[in-house]
Amino acid sequence: MSPLGDPRGAPSGLTRSEELVLGVSAAFLLFLLVAMLTGALGPTYFLFLVGLAGMYALLSLGLNAQWGFTGLINFSVAAFFGIGAYGTALMTASGSPIAGGLSPLAGLAVALVAAFALALLIGIPTLRLRADYLAIASLGLAEVVRLIALNERWLTNGSAGVRGIPGFFRGWPVLSTFPDAMPGLRIEVIPGSPVILETAFWQASLNVLLVLAFAGVAYAVLRRAHRSPWGRVLRTIRSDEDLARALGKHTYSFKMQSFVLGSLIMALAGVFYAHLNLYVGPGDLDPITTFYAWVAVILGGSGSNRGALFGGVVIVAIREGTRFLNDVALPIDPAPLRLLLIGVVIVAVMRYRPQGVLPPQRELIWPRAVGGSGTPETPDSGVRERKGGGGDE
Amino acid sequence: MAVLGYLANGLVFSSIIVLGSIGLSLVYSIADFANFAHGDTMTVGAYAALVTFGAVGGLGGAVLGLPYGFFVALAAGIAVAAVAAVATEKLVYEPLDTDSIGLLITSIGIAFVYRGVLQIGFGADFTRFDVQALRPIASLLPYGVRVTLHDVAIVASAVVLVVGLHLLLQYTDLGRKMRAMADNPELARVSGIRTKRVKLWTWVIGAGLAGAGGVFLGLFNQLAPRMGFNLLLVIFAAVILGGIGSVYGAMAGGFLIGMINQLTPLFSDVVEALPIWPGWLEAALESLVSIEYANAIAFVIMVVVLLVRPNGIAGEAAT
Repeated sequence: MSPLGDPRGAPSGLTRSEELVLGVSAAFLLFLLVAMLTGALGPTYFLFLVGLAGMYALLSLGLNAQWGFTGLINFSVAAFFGIGAYGTALMTASGSPIAGGLSPLAGLAVALVAAFALALLIGIPTLRLRADYLAIASLGLAEVVRLIALNERWLTNGSAGVRGIPGFFRGWPVLSTFPDAMPGLRIEVIPGSPVILETAFWQASLNVLLVLAFAGVAYAVLRRAHRSPWGRVLRTIRSDEDLARALGKHTYSFKMQSFVLGSLIMALAGVFYAHLNLYVGPGDLDPITTFYAWVAVILGGSGSNRGALFGGVVIVAIREGTRFLNDVALPIDPAPLRLLLIGVVIVAVMRYRPQGVLPPQRELIWPRAVGGSGTPETPDSGVRERKGGGGDE
Repeated sequence: MAVLGYLANGLVFSSIIVLGSIGLSLVYSIADFANFAHGDTMTVGAYAALVTFGAVGGLGGAVLGLPYGFFVALAAGIAVAAVAAVATEKLVYEPLDTDSIGLLITSIGIAFVYRGVLQIGFGADFTRFDVQALRPIASLLPYGVRVTLHDVAIVASAVVLVVGLHLLLQYTDLGRKMRAMADNPELARVSGIRTKRVKLWTWVIGAGLAGAGGVFLGLFNQLAPRMGFNLLLVIFAAVILGGIGSVYGAMAGGFLIGMINQLTPLFSDVVEALPIWPGWLEAALESLVSIEYANAIAFVIMVVVLLVRPNGIAGEAAT
């Protein structure tokens, strides 16, 4: 965890794992581009995947603020994701049993307020607990939230879920009509398999724009917070809570702040998901969402924001890769295969690389503090390029 | 009276929870981490029994409405769950160089591996053991008790297993070593106890009991790859209520949580009958104390216990 512990962590070059991640990311991007140009992968679907990756990256960033920074074992990620999704869905959807028809911005505000309230509700009793008790208790409380979403029909429409959610940009001056206004494009790179860009594509690119905005803001805030004195207190709590207390820090209040911050980011992911999927149901609160976020954070490297972004991409690769495998090669039901892969990844990371693929090393230091230039940010731009690459098509 | 009926159901369900919670508590105290794969270990046991029962068949006679073959299958379920747990300990947990939190996270991965493998092999659908469904015992029906001979078999087997464990813990060498290790692993090791071996036996016993619980859960309800994971939190609630690390506490906690779970309809009748003021509070309570929230009630009890009495109802009592 020591930022200067790794001799390879000199600010001038990339560490081997960073090169590896960069290489894998570039290869993956190339593969997707080729697939898209040959028509094997629809551009709209590609953008949907990018949106999904952004969503998981947001979830992971939120969890990273709790587990990676402060060491809070929060197993209620799905609850915050769900309350974000339900919060905006119930405000904006035509099929909402309570309000409905409001502007998505109002939905966003309601979702964040609801997530804030839920974070206090779950955090106040559980954050005093020992780490492993916190894990069990938060998983239990997330189940309570799921059961409420499933059973309180007057509020959430029960198991039928909420339908008729509008896109996030409905009612906005230019963006609401942007997808329809854009002309259909036809690009023929390889003769015989043209790539056609239509309304759905422009809609999807708007969604990507939205998730990039959300993730960008969350990333910037977290990176700043992580390096700030506040972030240093959180890291002290993570490694030794008694020490932090002995230094006169009110650890409970710091833990609560980081819990709330992470929960709000998770709720943002939920808001985005509701407007991406246009349907929200109790199944979205299934604990598996929680563990997807966990895999992303552990794999990326606990405490590492870049790692969380990378982890989000890997989760989408697992989710959609199993589906692809099922369609193309092996007739194995993708759902259990996904479970198996997730499990294997967790075990393998804990066994062979417990610090994750991109552990937070130089992320924790101000670049100018070591006299180097801005090179530590190179892997970020790797991820950004990949995402931006889709939007430029 | 309906109360007796609910109590009888509670007793059956409690037996299953107790079998699960003892193992979880043993592992918690001796291997020193919250094993999130415990529920899926139950599922492993249940499916092993399903396969075995399909292979050996009824084998002639029957006890308590269950063919002999079912007991063979039960033994197989226990054995397979124990083997799976020992293999996991040897291959995964033991080589890990990490703290109890790292083990906890790893155990989630293990849970997914178990469930993923089972689901690939058997599909996600519900199945049942191929034993004939029985009618409730006629002589008990006038009292409002609807239990079948199978339910009696579940309770009886659970009692046998629990008593066996009690004898093992109190009167055998291994039991004494296990208690010593649960109390203070360092001290146990310096006094010459082979802690690794004791830990392996703990896995055998804990997972074996979980396997039995899984088989009975399959007999009581149905089998599905999610059955164990769905029950995991209820079992955690039982363990925490009883006090983590205390086997007898886990028994008591399992009994209480199982009872509360099955008595929920009774509680909702009581809430409806009580004159609660103001009206909105009554309405809220009526909707929350209902069968849909039976598990949620257990979880809330769990959080309250963690806050108010983290050592559980058994307090500091040793294993």
